[in-house]
Amino acid sequence: MLDFTGRGYAHTCDGQLRRDFLRVGALGALGMALPQYLAARERGLVKPGHDERSCILIFNLGAPSQLDTFDLKPQAPAEVRGPFKPIATRSPEIQISEILPRHAELAKHFSIVRSCYHTGAAVHDAGWQVMQTGRQFAGGIETPHAGAVAGYQLGARSDLPPFVVLPELMGRGGGNLPNGQAGGFLGKGHNPFALMADPSQPNFRVPDLLPPPELGTVRVDRRRRMREIVEQQLAGFEASDDARLMQQNFEAAYRLMASPQARAAFDLSQESDAVRDRYGRNRFGQCCLLARRLVEAGVRFVTVNTFLTVFDDVSWDIHGSKPFTSIEGMKNIVAPMYDQGYSALIQDLAQRGMLDDTLVAGLAEFGRTPKVNPAGGRDHWPQCFSVTFAGGGVQGGRVIGASDPMGAVPADRPTVPGEVLATIFHSLGLDLESHLPGPGGRPFPIVDSGIREIRELF
Amino acid sequence: MPIMTTEPNQLFGWLPSAVRRALRWTCTRAIGGWLVFLVPGTVLAQSDGGRSLVIMPAAVILDGQQARQHVLAEKFEQDRATGPADGVVWSVDDPAVAQYKDGVVLPLGNGQTVLRARWQDQQAVTPITVRRAAQPIEWEFRRHVLPVLSRAGCNQGACHGALAGKGGFRLSLRGYDPEGDFFTITQESRSRRLEPAQPGRSLFLSKPTGAVPHKGGLRLDVASRDYQVLADWIIAGATPPTSADPVLQRLEVLPDRVALAVGQTQPLIVRAHYSDGRTEDVTDWAKFTSTQESVAQVDHGGKVRVMGPGEGAVSVWFSSQIAVARILSPYPFQLTADVYDRALRANFIDDLVLEKLRELRLAPSPRSSDATFLRRVTIDLIGRLPTEEEAQAFLADASPARRERWIDHLLSRSEYVDYWSYRWSDVLVINGRRIGAAEVKAYYNWLRHHIAQGTPWDQMVREIVTARGDSVLQGATNFYALHQAPEDMAESVSQAFLGLSINCAKCHNHPLEKWTNEQYYAMANLFARVRTKSPFKPPVAGDGFTISVEDRGDVLQPLTGKPRPPSPLDGTPLALDDPRDRREHLADWLTSTENPYFARAITNRVWANFMGTGLIEPIDDLRVSNPASNEPLLSALARHLVEHDFDLKALMRLIALSETYQRSNEVLLENAPDRRFYSRFYPRRIMAEVLLDAVAQITEVPDEFTMIGNIGMDTRKTDEYAKGTRALQLFDAAVYSPFLATFGRNPRAIVCECERSNTPTMVQALHLHNGDTINHRLQSEHGWVSRVLRGKPQEEELVRQAYWRVLSRPPSEPELARWRDVLQSSSGVPTQELAEDVYWSLMSSREFLFQH
Repeated sequence: MLDFTGRGYAHTCDGQLRRDFLRVGALGALGMALPQYLAARERGLVKPGHDERSCILIFNLGAPSQLDTFDLKPQAPAEVRGPFKPIATRSPEIQISEILPRHAELAKHFSIVRSCYHTGAAVHDAGWQVMQTGRQFAGGIETPHAGAVAGYQLGARSDLPPFVVLPELMGRGGGNLPNGQAGGFLGKGHNPFALMADPSQPNFRVPDLLPPPELGTVRVDRRRRMREIVEQQLAGFEASDDARLMQQNFEAAYRLMASPQARAAFDLSQESDAVRDRYGRNRFGQCCLLARRLVEAGVRFVTVNTFLTVFDDVSWDIHGSKPFTSIEGMKNIVAPMYDQGYSALIQDLAQRGMLDDTLVAGLAEFGRTPKVNPAGGRDHWPQCFSVTFAGGGVQGGRVIGASDPMGAVPADRPTVPGEVLATIFHSLGLDLESHLPGPGGRPFPIVDSGIREIRELF
Repeated sequence: MPIMTTEPNQLFGWLPSAVRRALRWTCTRAIGGWLVFLVPGTVLAQSDGGRSLVIMPAAVILDGQQARQHVLAEKFEQDRATGPADGVVWSVDDPAVAQYKDGVVLPLGNGQTVLRARWQDQQAVTPITVRRAAQPIEWEFRRHVLPVLSRAGCNQGACHGALAGKGGFRLSLRGYDPEGDFFTITQESRSRRLEPAQPGRSLFLSKPTGAVPHKGGLRLDVASRDYQVLADWIIAGATPPTSADPVLQRLEVLPDRVALAVGQTQPLIVRAHYSDGRTEDVTDWAKFTSTQESVAQVDHGGKVRVMGPGEGAVSVWFSSQIAVARILSPYPFQLTADVYDRALRANFIDDLVLEKLRELRLAPSPRSSDATFLRRVTIDLIGRLPTEEEAQAFLADASPARRERWIDHLLSRSEYVDYWSYRWSDVLVINGRRIGAAEVKAYYNWLRHHIAQGTPWDQMVREIVTARGDSVLQGATNFYALHQAPEDMAESVSQAFLGLSINCAKCHNHPLEKWTNEQYYAMANLFARVRTKSPFKPPVAGDGFTISVEDRGDVLQPLTGKPRPPSPLDGTPLALDDPRDRREHLADWLTSTENPYFARAITNRVWANFMGTGLIEPIDDLRVSNPASNEPLLSALARHLVEHDFDLKALMRLIALSETYQRSNEVLLENAPDRRFYSRFYPRRIMAEVLLDAVAQITEVPDEFTMIGNIGMDTRKTDEYAKGTRALQLFDAAVYSPFLATFGRNPRAIVCECERSNTPTMVQALHLHNGDTINHRLQSEHGWVSRVLRGKPQEEELVRQAYWRVLSRPPSEPELARWRDVLQSSSGVPTQELAEDVYWSLMSSREFLFQH
C-alpha cells in the first residue's frame, strides 16, 4: 500500500520498498526513477510538451548504400546508379528504391536527409561512434550514446530502464574500437539494458526475468536480506565503478521483477498473430514490435540494431564478396526485412496515436561508394549518405539536403553527425545548450557549440 | 643509487672553461631498473637542494638564413622538469651571431656563442652554433613542403587527403605518398597549380590564402613563414622528392617528462633529427594530441595546460613519426616521506610502484589479510577458489613463508595448465567456428603441451610463426589457417605478439602511429610465400590442410605496384631473392632480446591478469602514443622476463610475491581517486569461466557442455567434453553456454582482448537471481547442499561452513549476529530451502562475484 506524505516520500507497509526506492534513486540511470525525472523537468531540462517523447533509433549496421535505398541516381552512369530503379511514393517530393516498396506507401510519415556525412575513418566502428554519440572518441574521452544522454537527463519514466538496446549490443567492427553503444564518460551505470535474446524465437521471453516458481515472495525477500549481510562488509568496493555497477544492476533487476507493467512490456505473446506477422517473423521485425511495446511502457530510448556484426552474417555491408553481403543478398533478404519491419512500426505507431511522441531515426555508420566495385558490391563511404526521421514532431514527406549527381558528396545542406544527435535531443525536448558531467568533472556540452537540430525537419 | 657524470669536453671544447665545467650530463640509474634518463640541457653547478634551471634544447644549432629554434628555461628538481621559469632574463653573449626574441633564437652571423637565461638566483647557459647565416635554406619537398601542407590541414581526411580528394585536387592522407603528391601538385591540371614566375598566382598558394575562392577556407597567411617556404620552393624550381632525401631518424620532444601543478602550463619544443645530421625545430609543424584530456590539454602550438591530477601524455606527430611527452600532476594530499619508507617491499615491483605513488602523492593501502590473499592468488594463478580445507589450513599456518609457499604450490598444480592454456587460447583465437573440430583439438593440445612443459614464451611464438605441415599433426599451423592472407597474418602476428594494431597502415600511413604503408607491406611480404593447401577451395573448416612455404612469390604494395623487401616492422629487410623461409627472419626479430615490443606485450598481459588493470590499457594496445602508467616498471618487468629466458612462471611468481599485488582493496582518503597506479587492489568482476567453475566447485554439481554454437546461431551436438569438464578446460570458445556468453567470455572472433568483458550488467543480475546456474545446483539432490543437510547441521554451523566454501573465510562476529536476526524465526535445524537461500545469498554477493 502506497501513500504519499507532504514531503513526497513513498511509503509501503513494511518500509522495505520505500527504503530501496530511495536508495535506488540515488544511483545512476539504471535506478533513476520518477522523482529524478520530475526534478529534471523542474530544472528545465525538458521542454514543456515533450514529457512523453521517446526515441526509437534503428541502427542500420553494415551501412546501407544511399544509391540503392533513399538517394537513387537514375541519370548517373551504370556503374554508379546500380541495378535498382526509383519508384514514386505517397509524397510528391520523394522517390526511393524499388527494393523498399512499403516505404513508398508511408512516405508521408518520414523524411530523408540526403546530405549526411562525417570525416571519421571509413571503418564501421568509427562510424558507430560518431553516429551514435555525435563525436569521434579522442583524447581518452568516450562520449555517451544518445540514449545514455537521454537516460541521464530525463531518468526513467517507469520501472523499466530508460535506455534499452535490442536484441544485443553491437559486436566488433574490425577496427577494434569502442562502438559507442554505452554510457561513455557518464559511466557504465548509464549503459543500456541489452536484451541478449532474439524475440523472434518461438516461446521468446526475456531470459530470467522472473524468479523460478519455487521461489515465492517470502523467499525472495529472505534471500535479499541475507545477501545484505555480506554486502555490508564491502567498504573497499565503493571505489570500484564495476562493483557499484553490479549493485545497481541488482537493484534495477529487483525493480524489474517486481513490476507487472515492466514484465508485460517484454511479453510479445500479448500481441496478436496478425500484428506479429505484420512486423515480420524475423529478429529485426520482432525487435521493432518489442521497441513499440517498450516505448508504450515508458522506455525513453530504444536502439534496435538491425544486425549484430558485419562478419559472416547478412547485413547492409554489401562489399559483394565473402564474408560480407552481396547486392543480391541486400535485395532478397536485407531490404525486404527492413522494409517490412520499419513500415509496420511506423504504421503501428501512427494508428496508436504514438507517432507524434515517438521519434524513429534510421541511422547508419556511413554510406557506400558511388561506383560499384569489381565484386558487384559497394564499399565504405562516409563522405555522403542518407538518414531518415519519422515522428516525434518531425514532418514527413520531405527531402532535406541533396547529394551531387554521383551521390558522392553533399551538394546542398551538408549535415554532420552532431546535427543528427541534436535533432534527436531536440525531439526529446532536451536543451541543446545543456551540459553533461564530463571527464574530470568538467561540464561537457551535449552537442558542440553552435550545432543545432535539422530545423527543416520540424 | 650511483650518479655518473661525464665532462663532454670533446663536444664543447671551444666553450669557456667555466661554462664547460658547468656543462654536465647526468645519468641516473633508476632503482633496480637500469633505466637511463638523459637530462638535456646545461646546468650551472650552484643548484640548491637538487633544484636547477636548464635551457632546452641542450645545444642550439642554426643552419641557414631562416633557421630558428624555440628555447625554454625549464625549472628542474633532481632529474625532473617542473615547468618553465617565469620572468627569465635572456641574453646572447655575442649579439653578432644570434638573437633571442620571444622564445626563439634566430641566426645573425656565422660563429659560436652562448645563450644565457637568468632567473632569480639561478643561471643556465646553452651553446649556440650558427652556420650559413647568409645562405637561404633550400626547402625540400619531403622535409619542408609536406609538413607545411600537413600543418595547414590540406591533406587531412576531411580535405584533399580524402580518398577521392576535394574539388578535383587529391593529396595522400597526411603525406604518406610524397612522390604521388609531388606529381599531383606539379603535373596534374596541366601544371596550372604552380606558376614559377609568379608564385603568388599559383593555385597552390592563391587558394589556401583566399586570394582565389577556396571551399576549405583560409589555411595560410601570406605573411607567414609557411607561405614563404612554399613560395621559395616554387621559385627555386619545385625540386622533387628523391630516394636520396634525408630520412627522419628521430623525433624529439622537450621536455619529455614534466611534473606540473593543476592549472600550470608548459610549452613543448619538437625537434626532428635527420639522417644527414641536420636537426630542425619543427614545433610549428607538429600535431599535438592529449591522450588523457582530464589530466592535460594541449593547444595547436604545443602549449600544455594541466587540468587535473594524475598522469597524462601528449603525443606529438610529425612526418609519420611519434614522440610522447609525459605530464605528471601530483594529487593534493599531504603525505610525509615515511609513508613510503615504511611501506613493505618484496621486490623491485614495489620500489617502482612506490616511487610512482610518491611522485603522484598517493598513499599505498596496507597489506591484505591472509584469507583475501589466498583467495586472490588462487583465482589469478589457477582460476579456482581455494577449497574449504585449503582455506582453513592456510589461515592456521603461522609460518612467515606461507604466502610464498602457496604461490609455489599453485605454480605446480595441474589447474595452472588449464587456466593458462585457456588464457592464451584467447590470444591464439582457438575457435571451432573458424576451424574444424580436429584442428581445434590439435591447436589446443599443442598449446597445452607447451604450458605443461613450461616452454618459454619466445619458443612458443617461434613455433607458431614458423609453423608448417599438416593442420592436425602440427597444431601450431592453425594460427595461419585462421588468418590466410599475408596481410591478415601480418596484422594478427602484430596484434597478438606485439600488441600493435597496424591495419590502418594497409591503406595509408598510420594516422596516429609511426607505421607506414611501406612498413606494412614489408611486413606482409614476410608471409607472401606461405601456402595453405586443402583438398577443397577455399579450404572448408574440418577438411584439414597443410601449410607449406614456397620459394617464390611476393606481396605487392598497391601504391607502387612493387614488392617491398620483406622486413619485420622495425627490423632489417631481407633481400627479395633471399631463399630462406622469411618467417624465420621474422621469428628472429620478434623474439630477439632487443625487440622493444615483444617482451612488453606479453608482460603487460600477464600483469593485467593479476592486477586487473594493465600497465598499458587496453592491454593489447602498445602504440607509442598510448604510454604505460608506470614506464620504468613495465621496462623492468620486461627486462626481467628477457633475463629469465621468457619464463612466464618466473614473471608470475615475481608479481604474486610483490607487496603491490598483496595490498588490500581498502580505500584510503589519500588514494581514493587512483584507478591505475596500484596504490590499492582494485576489485573486478571475476571472468566468466572462473565464476562458472566456482559455482560448480561450491555446489559439487558440474556443468555439462554438450553443444557447439552460440545463442541465436545454429547449434550442434558434441561429445568432446566428458561430464565434469570445467569451463576452463574447454578448448573451443564456440561451446554453447548461456552463462559464459552472458558473463562476457571472449568469443575469439578476432585477435583482440577487447572481446572479453567483465562489465556487470542487469542481465547478469537477473540470471544470478532467477536463472538456473546457481538455483538448479543448489536444489540438486546430488549436490552439496543436499549432502550437507544429511549431516543435520545446526543453522549457525551451516552458515559458517557456507562462508568457508563460498568466500574462503569465516564469518565475522557482527555478521553472525545479523545472521541470527534473520534466522531467528526458523526452528534451528535448517530446511533444504533455508540452506539454498543461505548459499544463494553468499554466491550472489559481490564478495563472491568479484576478485578483491
